[in-house]
Amino acid sequence: MSIVKCTHCHLEFDESLMIKEEQDPSLNFCCNGCQGVYHLLKDDGLDSFYDKVGKNTLDKPIAIGQDSSNFDMDSFRSRYIKPTQDGFSQIDLIIEGIHCAACIWLNEKVLDQTDGVVEASINFTNNKAKIVWDEDTIKLSQIIDKIRSIGYNAYPYDRTESEIKATKNKKDYFLRMSIAIFASMNIMMIGVAKYTGFFTGMDQEVLRMVHMAEFIFSTPVLFYSGWIFFRGAFYGLKNKIVNMDLLVSAGATLTYIYSLYVLFGGSGDSYFDSVAMIITFVLVGKYLEVIGKKGAMDTIDTIRSTLPIEATRITNGGKEIIPIDKVCVDDILEVKNGEKASVDGVIVSGIGEFDESSISGESLPVKKDKNSKIYSGTINVGQVIRYKATKDYANSTLNSIVELLEDSLNSKPKIEQTTNELSKYFSITILTIAILTFFGWYSYNGSFENALIIAISVIVIACPCALALATPIATLVGISELAKKGLLFKEAKYIETFASVDTVVLDKTGTITNGKLKVISSDDETLDKNEIDLLYSLVDSSTHPVSVAVKKHLEQNYYSLKHITLENIEQIPAVGLSANYKTHKLFGGKDDTQSQYTIYNFKIDDKTIATFELEDGIKEGAHETIEYLKNQNIDVILCSGDNENVVQKVSKELGIEHIKSQMDPLSKADFITELKNKNKTVVMVGDGVNDALALSRADISIAMGNGADVALAVSDVVILNDDIRGLKTSMKISKRTYKFIKQNLGISLVYNALTIPIAIAGYVIPLVAALSMSLSSLLVVGNSVRIKGKN
Amino acid sequence: MDNSILWLELVVGIITSLTLLGIFIWGAKGGQFDDSKKMMDGLLFDSPEDLQDAYNKEQKVKELKEKKAKSNKKDKS
Repeated sequence: MSIVKCTHCHLEFDESLMIKEEQDPSLNFCCNGCQGVYHLLKDDGLDSFYDKVGKNTLDKPIAIGQDSSNFDMDSFRSRYIKPTQDGFSQIDLIIEGIHCAACIWLNEKVLDQTDGVVEASINFTNNKAKIVWDEDTIKLSQIIDKIRSIGYNAYPYDRTESEIKATKNKKDYFLRMSIAIFASMNIMMIGVAKYTGFFTGMDQEVLRMVHMAEFIFSTPVLFYSGWIFFRGAFYGLKNKIVNMDLLVSAGATLTYIYSLYVLFGGSGDSYFDSVAMIITFVLVGKYLEVIGKKGAMDTIDTIRSTLPIEATRITNGGKEIIPIDKVCVDDILEVKNGEKASVDGVIVSGIGEFDESSISGESLPVKKDKNSKIYSGTINVGQVIRYKATKDYANSTLNSIVELLEDSLNSKPKIEQTTNELSKYFSITILTIAILTFFGWYSYNGSFENALIIAISVIVIACPCALALATPIATLVGISELAKKGLLFKEAKYIETFASVDTVVLDKTGTITNGKLKVISSDDETLDKNEIDLLYSLVDSSTHPVSVAVKKHLEQNYYSLKHITLENIEQIPAVGLSANYKTHKLFGGKDDTQSQYTIYNFKIDDKTIATFELEDGIKEGAHETIEYLKNQNIDVILCSGDNENVVQKVSKELGIEHIKSQMDPLSKADFITELKNKNKTVVMVGDGVNDALALSRADISIAMGNGADVALAVSDVVILNDDIRGLKTSMKISKRTYKFIKQNLGISLVYNALTIPIAIAGYVIPLVAALSMSLSSLLVVGNSVRIKGKN
Repeated sequence: MDNSILWLELVVGIITSLTLLGIFIWGAKGGQFDDSKKMMDGLLFDSPEDLQDAYNKEQKVKELKEKKAKSNKKDKS
């Protein structure tokens, strides 16, 4: 047995499973999809794609069963297609299956080569595409087919006003930040000459030259890049709030004015470098926040785009396809195998099996018969059913979740006001002291110039080193320590919140259990080679999680498994699969008994010849994490969409006292709100779309790295390696970092308490100011490095 | 050293860096840096064939636009 790579997708497989070609034996394909795409690209002269892919692996080509004619329907056109000024048509799409830059290259190239396509540009960061085409030459459905033919898929999406605004905002911040960084880098280089000159002696004219260069570079930083702080300060004052923006803008402006005075006539040292640094550092933090928010919006668009765009309505005369926003309550709708339910409703005929993982997180499909409720966005993996709509599109479950998520994105920045509390009092105090100093000196010696310089020197010496560095440096060290351990904190402020957490809510599936079924015991050793191959062929024909787990078990335990052609493969809803082989009848599935474990029986001619017991196992490290949390006096709550028996079994095993079962996404979110109303500081750990809303409501949300995109987007912390022990490590490092932040604040406050009186007294000469500013920074930085200690 | 040379160097240095900044702003406003991932990886794929393809694409768009303008005129008349 040898492992070989698929020529198209580069995934590795056993050579015996590969499709070979007689003409060229060096080609190996893992499936017909890969083989088809490879030849299509070669025929079109696009095989340089494989050079561009390099060593990257691709997803297998997406096999699309449904046809694309719905893209040409009038209802679709009126909703998604817009005319351009030149008379062409334009649509925004989200491309599924994009993996690397070569995928972007391939899609754009194929579309550019297609007659009638005027423009095809795909954004790699969010996989959104803008397509412009000439309807006289080509139909949209043909363009979609072209994308599908090379193994990708496309969904339409509505470009909303808020997205246009967010894109504009991101671009605006990027430009402001880039200019600030560019100017600051130049000022830093000039600064080397300036500070060296302090010690080696510098000619006054040369010093003036250096100040002039710093002035030229710092001016656009203050007035262009820093404009958002002036704006923030203005709106803050208008609403009677003294915010961080006011401290930044006042500190930077006064330092700038003082430096201007020094440059044009006054004596002493200028601080143009401080002006640029204050603005740049704070702006970089703000930019990261803006791109984080934009990324979350893009992910929500992706979920929205996977919602069905139409429904099959049953009428007196037959069936009609209608756009989902035209579905009314009490309409009878039909959902075939593989289709998604468009709105919520109740089954009126047929027995289906629904994959509800997007709503409940439960990995196994749920059997649904007459009068069972079904939810929008869930996939029918069983037979055709008909159901009565109980809600329209706007009020259906998945759409409500998406809308609530959008709201949560807009409301999150409010939290920042509380974290700025200390800075607020600090800025008021410093500004007051500076004003009093000015009037004090002016009334004492009557010199306006002298009073102004001393007042400004109070602000310069206090701002920004004292507070501005104390927290960021410590959190930077803390965050990099966390990142080394695979824990991604999206913002530094969560370290502080983490240190005061008193409640942890854990999702079950995928968070503390593996989220995948695994065979834990079996009696298949009595089977002969032919029976094993028959079972392998049977389970390979289904994507049901139980079949997938049995298939994996066989692949791990047996070599040279062979595919045998089976006939009449039929899915029996919520039970299993049956098929015929020659004159024999095969069956794989469970007996109709309820069990916490999943039992899979393999029968030939109604005789059970092997039984497999499957379970969703508890993750390694879950025990020690729960133990640690309990020792820290943190209330641990297990919150799951599963039934009570399953949740109770897991909680007993882990020693969790509080459980919440059968929680849908909305009740999970309400539960978090309820806890917060009781003044609890809540951490929520989850992984699925069903957890996203609850995650967005928690004080800190943690997503497992293998979780759904939306969960990752709305979460504050991501455990990249999917190891639940990350929760324990996050808490330990956060507490340690917080301790050092408090120490740093102490150091900086002591520094200010010592230096401000000297400044008020008028004894601060530029050299002392420069040295003391650097010294306080060094103290804070040196102390922060100690966070790296033992974790 | 004569300070006038230093002044000259300073002026030339500032003009050069501001020119570079201007070019960057022009690129950023034109959308060249909107997609950070594509921009970084796209550099790897630059080749003479890609340049040729870009030229062909431009020609194709020009032809399509001309054709469309003609048919729009026809429709109006």
